[in-house]
Formats: sequence, C-alpha cells, structure tokens
Amino acid sequence: MAERGGERGGERGSDRGGFGRGFGRGGRGDRGGRRGGRRGQRQEEEKWVPVTKLGRLVQEKKFATIEEIYLHSLPVKEHQIVEALVPGLKDEVMKITPVQKQTRAGQRTRFKAFVVVGDGNGHVGLGVKCAKEVATAIRGAIILAKLSIVPVRRGYWGNKIGQPHTVPCKVTGKCGSVTVRMVPAPRGSGIVAARVPKKVLQFAGIEDVFTSSRGSTKTLGNFVKATFDCLMKTYGFLTPEFWRETKFSKTPYQEFTDLLAKPTKGLMLEAPIETVEA
Amino acid sequence: MAEEVHLGLPGPWAADYREKADHYTTKIGGVPDWPTGDMGIKPEMLQCSLCGTKLCLVAQVYAPVVKLNIEERIIYVLVCPTPECGPRPQSWKVLRVQKCRNVEQTEGDGDELGQGTGPSSTSVPEEQIDKNKSHDINDDDFDLDALAEALEQAATLASNSKKKNKSKCANAPIERPVLKEKPADLSIPVLPCFYIYYDKEQYRVKGAVGSSSNEFPLDKEMTDTGNYEEEKWDGEKYEYDKAIGADRTFLKFKKRLDAYPEQCFRYSYGGKPLLAATKVQDAGTCRFCGSPRQYELQLMSPLLYFLHEAGKGSSNYGPSNWTWLTLIVYTCSKSCCPSSCGGRPCGCCWDVAEEEITIQEDEAV
Repeated sequence: MAERGGERGGERGSDRGGFGRGFGRGGRGDRGGRRGGRRGQRQEEEKWVPVTKLGRLVQEKKFATIEEIYLHSLPVKEHQIVEALVPGLKDEVMKITPVQKQTRAGQRTRFKAFVVVGDGNGHVGLGVKCAKEVATAIRGAIILAKLSIVPVRRGYWGNKIGQPHTVPCKVTGKCGSVTVRMVPAPRGSGIVAARVPKKVLQFAGIEDVFTSSRGSTKTLGNFVKATFDCLMKTYGFLTPEFWRETKFSKTPYQEFTDLLAKPTKGLMLEAPIETVEA
Repeated sequence: MAEEVHLGLPGPWAADYREKADHYTTKIGGVPDWPTGDMGIKPEMLQCSLCGTKLCLVAQVYAPVVKLNIEERIIYVLVCPTPECGPRPQSWKVLRVQKCRNVEQTEGDGDELGQGTGPSSTSVPEEQIDKNKSHDINDDDFDLDALAEALEQAATLASNSKKKNKSKCANAPIERPVLKEKPADLSIPVLPCFYIYYDKEQYRVKGAVGSSSNEFPLDKEMTDTGNYEEEKWDGEKYEYDKAIGADRTFLKFKKRLDAYPEQCFRYSYGGKPLLAATKVQDAGTCRFCGSPRQYELQLMSPLLYFLHEAGKGSSNYGPSNWTWLTLIVYTCSKSCCPSSCGGRPCGCCWDVAEEEITIQEDEAV
C-alpha cells in the first residue's frame, strides 16, 4: 500500500520533502490501475462529491424542487445542486468582450464572458466571469450563472385565464446608471425590449412584457444586470396574496438531522456516566 | 511561490474497521495505531473536554519532516463521537506523536519497527514481510526496483481483495456492515476506516490549452454581434467573481476542490491553507517551546462525505451532525519534543504534544 512505501521512502532520506519522495515510489506501483481508471472517469461525468450540508441533502434526494431551498432562503454554494434540482436548464453566452489592464510591460488582456441560464419556466440566472482564456471564462460564467439562479414570479395582465404569462406588477431594477422598468402586458404582445434583455426575459419564461429603460444602456453589461435585478424583485413585491401570516416550518437542516428524527432512547445522556465510571 | 501540496485521496476500505495497522499507515477512521503499546498518554488527552467521552480517531497521518530530520512523526486527529459534541470545536483534538531527533542511526529504528509490526493484522501480511526483508538490505544499497515490485504486488493483492469497496463513488448503494460503534468488548467507538494514498496537487493557474485555439471562438463571437452596430458593450472592466450565495473565498475553495473532488486532506508543511471563509483564527504559539504554530494539514469536506456515506443507517452516528467545510491543523513550527530525558533529545521515547485545530464551518447551517 502506498503508506508502506512512504515509510520506506522516509528512511531513504533524500531532500525533497516528507511525502513527495516517499509516496512517489510506492504510489507509482500502487496506483497504476487506479490512476488509469480515474483518468477515464474524469473525461466522462465525474461523480459529484458534495461539499456543503445542503449539497449532501440534495444528493440524497431530500429535495424535490429548488423552491424548497428558496423557501428557507438557504444559500446555494454548489452549482451541482442547481443542476440536480432544475431539469431542462439551458445556457447561452451573450457576449465575450476583452477587458484590458495597463501594466508596465504593456497591456494585459482578459476575456469577460456573460452567460445566461434558464429553464424557460420561472428560473433564470446570470453569470459574469473574467479569465485569461475564453474557454475558462465561459465555463466559469456558466457555473456562476447556475449559482445565481433566482425564481421569477409571473402573473396576469387582466383575466386570470390559462397560465401566468407576464410580470405580476410594475417592477424596476437598477445597475450602475441603467434602470429597467417592466410593465405587465396583455397576452400576445410578446417581449417588447431591446435585443439583449429580451434574451434574459425569454430564458426566464416571461411571454409578454413592456419594458422601458433609462440611463446609459450602451453599457450593456449594466443593462443586462439591471434586467436581472428587475426579475429578482418580482418575488420581493408584497401583494395581497402574501398578507397571510407565514407559518414557519422546520428548515431542512433541522428536519433531516438524524439526531432529531430517530428516537435514541436517551443514549447520549447515559454515555458520559459510563465513561466516568470506567 | 506555490508550495507543494500533497493530497490524501481515498484508497481501499478496511475489511474490519477495528483492524490494526502500524504507525506508518495513513488512514481515516478506525483505531489509532500508537507506535508503542504503552505511550504514557494522560487519559485526559484522550477524553472529550466537553463531555468526557473517549475520543475516536478521525485521521492518522504519518508526517515525517525531512528538514528537521524527524522521521518518526505521526499526527492523530481525534474527535468526540457523541453527536452533540461533534459540531463544537472543543471536542476536536490533535496529537502529534514523535520520537526526538536521534544521532544514532538504525538501531533504534529497527527496534521500533519490530514493535510496530507486531500487532498488525493478518489481512496485510505481505507488507509486513516486505518491510522486514527490506530492513535486511543495507540502507545505502537500496534496491528500488525490487521495492517497487514488492509494493505493487502487495497493493494489487490488497486492492483486489477490497476491490468491491475500492471506488466508493461508483457503488451507489454501498452495502456496509452495520457500524460497530457501540463497543462490543472494546470501549473506544470507531469510525469507518479506509486507507489513504497520496498524490501531488497539479493545480495549473494558467490554462492547459494553447492560445491559438482560443482566438477562434472569440472571432466567431465578435462577428456574431458585429451586425448590431448600436451594441457596443462599452466600459467593461475586470470584475471579481460574485454569486448570490457564495463569496469569492468560497468560490476559490470550491474551484480547487473540483479539480480533485475526492481529496480527503491536504498536506503542506509550513504552507498556506486553502481557506473556505476569510475569517481565520490566530494559530497562537506552541505551549511547550513558545515558537509560533504553522499550518501543516487540513481535512476537507469529501472526508466527511465518505464517513457519512459509510455510516448511513446507523443512529447516534457522530459524522451525521458534522457540518464543517474544512478543519485546519496547526503544529509547532520547530516540531519540538515536550519531554526529553535530561534535557537532551534521546531518541528512545515517544513524545506526545497537543496541537491546534480550527474549524471552518458552513455558516448557512
């Protein structure tokens, strides 16, 4: 086993460092097969090892929809959580633009990628990432977009017939100098907006809306973020449906703790007494 | 700038969670393998400071320090197994066990190893024989090829016998024996045990792909939007990563974890820890010699995941309540010996020193 190799390596006494030399030797012998298998596995889907408690619960399929996470305002720190809970998630790169920084040795160019993800049915996310290479920026932006997925509230313009198709009320979002205002529109109007925010609204699943914008919309980065901010606010708007007092339920961490769920016959109370006597 | 970071990756599960190895083994869970039978450790060191329960082993890492010429040095990370104490930082303990620097060579080493191989379990007999054999070979004249061959044989034998347990990830429903936490005849509860193999972290800050292949998609993107003359995307500047639920430090932490998603711990003597949150407690100074403490290793969340998976279905299981992201271990920068015979490093007795451990929690919980 590798650890035996480490011990022998330790006795040899070269100068690299406790583990580098020791386990290099033993490891090579030990891990040939495993390494190959691991590499092959890496090219295909690598199994997700969750890092956070929420990730572990999601992997155990304790959540049916992402709405349960939104209900308790739990921060989503792993993008695999969103991938597992929101099926049919599509992503699109809206723009890759170079940003430059002046250094003593000339200019350093990095690429900034804007990616929007959404399922077209009430969930949308926007990710912005700067990186030295385009591919890295796109990959990073997709992950950040998934981490920023928010629910979008839709409502009716007039008669409540069929499925909600527009925003429930007039909302406005702001980023930098750009403000975007969304106004409910009757069915069939379509999304009345500039090309770039229209894409975000399509991914959100809004079918009809009137928009009006103000400020320097030439800065499309801010324009897109203002639209996203506006969509985030749809669920922040208090309407009479939400007047009823909330009945607070147990957070998933409390609900799924084995400690509370299983009756333990007072085992923990007895344990300290036992050890003291021993 | 980058110090070498060694990652502890999961190896085969132990056939029996209470099986003994020797003190050169690096493993997670199981029974701590003390170098000698009677270590003279004070019983308070092995008890939880909150509830008094006997601590169980989380990780045992063989960690020699070449720069200080200390070959016999092991770090044990212990925790209280009761579910209530687990999440609290006072229930964790780190012990550093080492034999002081000795000037004489292999005499002492040979004896120690002889003792060490004694209580080893029968499931790994080949390694024991190999080790004893290699000791007969002269230290200077090391037969490296034979060593590698012997190791490979032993490892393939071990991994074949435990092949069905090897890749814990691949087996979705893992049929684990019921956890022998409640002591049958021994009084120490035990966590599921698996062994560790090492890998150096190859973290490339620069991308692997050459720049020529990247300009091609960029041109495509630029021409796509070239039709829309009024869209300029002006005034963009560098932006730091931002997400609603995670801050920049955590995003960097997660990025390095994603490169090696199964890493159980990271080892870098005197290096910099990979933080999951910006708030770091001060490590303080060693209580024996007063020299500052430095980072040595940190336990990572996948370890918790593996322990959690192995203990599913058993009640009163400590790791089910753990919610830490990473546990950082700080040790004395001089790796001092707290007790030495007559003030001189003697090379005959084992010293036990308690070190510092800080928990970085998942704040959402």
